[in-house]
Amino acid sequence: MSFKDQIAFVRQHIRRNRLRVFMTVLAATMGTAFLIVLASVGFGLHKTIKDEVLSNQMITQVEVYSEELTDAKTDAMKEMDHVKSVVHRKQLSPTAFAELDGYTAGLNAYFTDFSEEETSGFKLAEGRFPENPGEIVVGSGFAEQLSDEKATVKEGEELPTYKEALLGKTVTFRFDPLEEGAVSEEWPLKIVGIKEAPGKDWAFDGYLYMDNRLMPEMEKGFAAVSPEPEEGVEAEPFTYPQVNVYVDKLENVKGVTTALKDDGYSVYSVSEEIEQLDVFFLALKAGLVFVGTIAILIASIGIFNTMTMAVTERTREIGVMKALGAGPKLIQRLFLMESAWIGIVGTAIAVVISYGVSFAANAVLPVIVTAALGEDGADLGVTFSVIPWQLVLIASAISLGVAMISGWRPARKATKTDVIGALRHEL
Amino acid sequence: MIEVKGLAHSFRVGKKGKETEVPVLKGLTLQAADGEIVSIVGRSGSGKSTLLHILAGFLQPDRGQVLVDGTDLTAMNEAQRAAYRLDHFGFVFQNFQLMPGLTAFENVELPLTLKGVPATERRRKVEELLESTGLSDIRSHYPNELSGGQQQRVGIARALITEPPIIFADEPTGSLDSETEQDILLLIQSLNRTYGITFVIITHDDEVAAIADRTYRMHDGELAEGGLRHVI
Repeated sequence: MSFKDQIAFVRQHIRRNRLRVFMTVLAATMGTAFLIVLASVGFGLHKTIKDEVLSNQMITQVEVYSEELTDAKTDAMKEMDHVKSVVHRKQLSPTAFAELDGYTAGLNAYFTDFSEEETSGFKLAEGRFPENPGEIVVGSGFAEQLSDEKATVKEGEELPTYKEALLGKTVTFRFDPLEEGAVSEEWPLKIVGIKEAPGKDWAFDGYLYMDNRLMPEMEKGFAAVSPEPEEGVEAEPFTYPQVNVYVDKLENVKGVTTALKDDGYSVYSVSEEIEQLDVFFLALKAGLVFVGTIAILIASIGIFNTMTMAVTERTREIGVMKALGAGPKLIQRLFLMESAWIGIVGTAIAVVISYGVSFAANAVLPVIVTAALGEDGADLGVTFSVIPWQLVLIASAISLGVAMISGWRPARKATKTDVIGALRHEL
Repeated sequence: MIEVKGLAHSFRVGKKGKETEVPVLKGLTLQAADGEIVSIVGRSGSGKSTLLHILAGFLQPDRGQVLVDGTDLTAMNEAQRAAYRLDHFGFVFQNFQLMPGLTAFENVELPLTLKGVPATERRRKVEELLESTGLSDIRSHYPNELSGGQQQRVGIARALITEPPIIFADEPTGSLDSETEQDILLLIQSLNRTYGITFVIITHDDEVAAIADRTYRMHDGELAEGGLRHVI
């Protein structure tokens, strides 16, 4: 019997028992849809939390901490596999000011290597990267830090800040002398680039980024305005190191993190956090799938019943087919195909319904939750339900597998039908 | 050519563990030559139906052999016997045994479908056969819309469709009135003469047995003394 004829045969049987098959399909659909929707909540929460973690930082960034981080050590990191760049920023520790057209800002400043910054993904909103030590890049919020301290404002009001374009302007850099009466040397620094604003609204970047080559000169200049350090007292360092290693791809972050740990560094990367999250949510999702599977198992009782009924009802027909020359394998296949059909149709409908429920949940639940919390229209940023293709695949496999298993015994029973008894069978 | 050698079979009846053996066939030897109509006549309980079931391969005998053109049916497993039936045997049953969900056309088509014959060829063959057996008018009817005689004609057409060398008929006229019975018997005779098909007919009716070239009488699982009759 050709496969096409087998399908036609099965369809003819299904048509004759439309209502019963429909009810069984309905049970299979409900079981499978329950499984998918339940597990989709696990996937949704996982996605929400993972997105939250990933959006707060650069995902391929590995932060490295150590007592002493020298340029030699960071150069060695650059040689590691999968490392795209190593940015070794040195944060200026003494108090310093920048002045521009009468506006003054207390400085947060870094010395850095701009070529490494550029490969690491440091992006400029305007201008270009510095080419010589006298040129700098400023953060997107730098202008807000420049304020006119001589201006007179009413109580409670803020000082006016610099409103004009910064690009191409030259700021004057000087230290706050530690020695009384000393006057700091001044450095004119030309703003050639403005850093792209950070992704998060609440993040603020008022930093000033200077070239590493400027550091020795400034360190000397600062020493000139500082008192001699007392005996036995350790001097404050001029800079604090901040090292970030940038990995080429997300999947290599873990390897690089481990390698750095092995080298004795304290390391933090998003992979650490993601890994813990993944383990937790894997367990949660497995649990939800397990609970959902119970629903499918309940549906399988229906399939078993329907198929057993079908076999009993068709005893005579099975007998005739066997008498005419249908082999046991064919009989078994025809009945297995029927339970598989129930499984396939049930799963297909369930997938469609699940996507609908998932979509509706994501649309409606935030509104309800927001209303319940009394916050007006605030975006929760929570995804309640996500159905990835893997979940569809897992649910389909479980549903189809269960349908086939529950159809197995009735199908075996059909093959064992005794021809002689079946031909005498009246129904 | 069907040869039956020393065929014996018994049924186990009663509760499990306390079964008793009831012998149904007690060492039969008989044969049917190609192109013959052979009838096996006997009362209820004589074992004639069991004999047919074994001949057709529905049942494995305890002892003995059934050779069809030299092929031993009793040495085959269930699947092999089913495949052999599909290729070599046709069946006509007392209560017709048509599929209730299939039309007359589809019922006749069923053995070809089981054999995996392509749909276009199937349709052509069934079309031809229905035409020649005068069933074209009822082709779209379901079995419950047909008279007994019509149902049996469809049943016979179904047995013929695969052009088998042998057709087994189990009380083919048992559910029909005497006039229809005559029609069916004439049909069997003409098929036998035209196509040289061997018929093995099980019956309790001497009138049916009368069309046979060779008749075996069965009594209590044995061939009755002097039961063999040749018609020339």
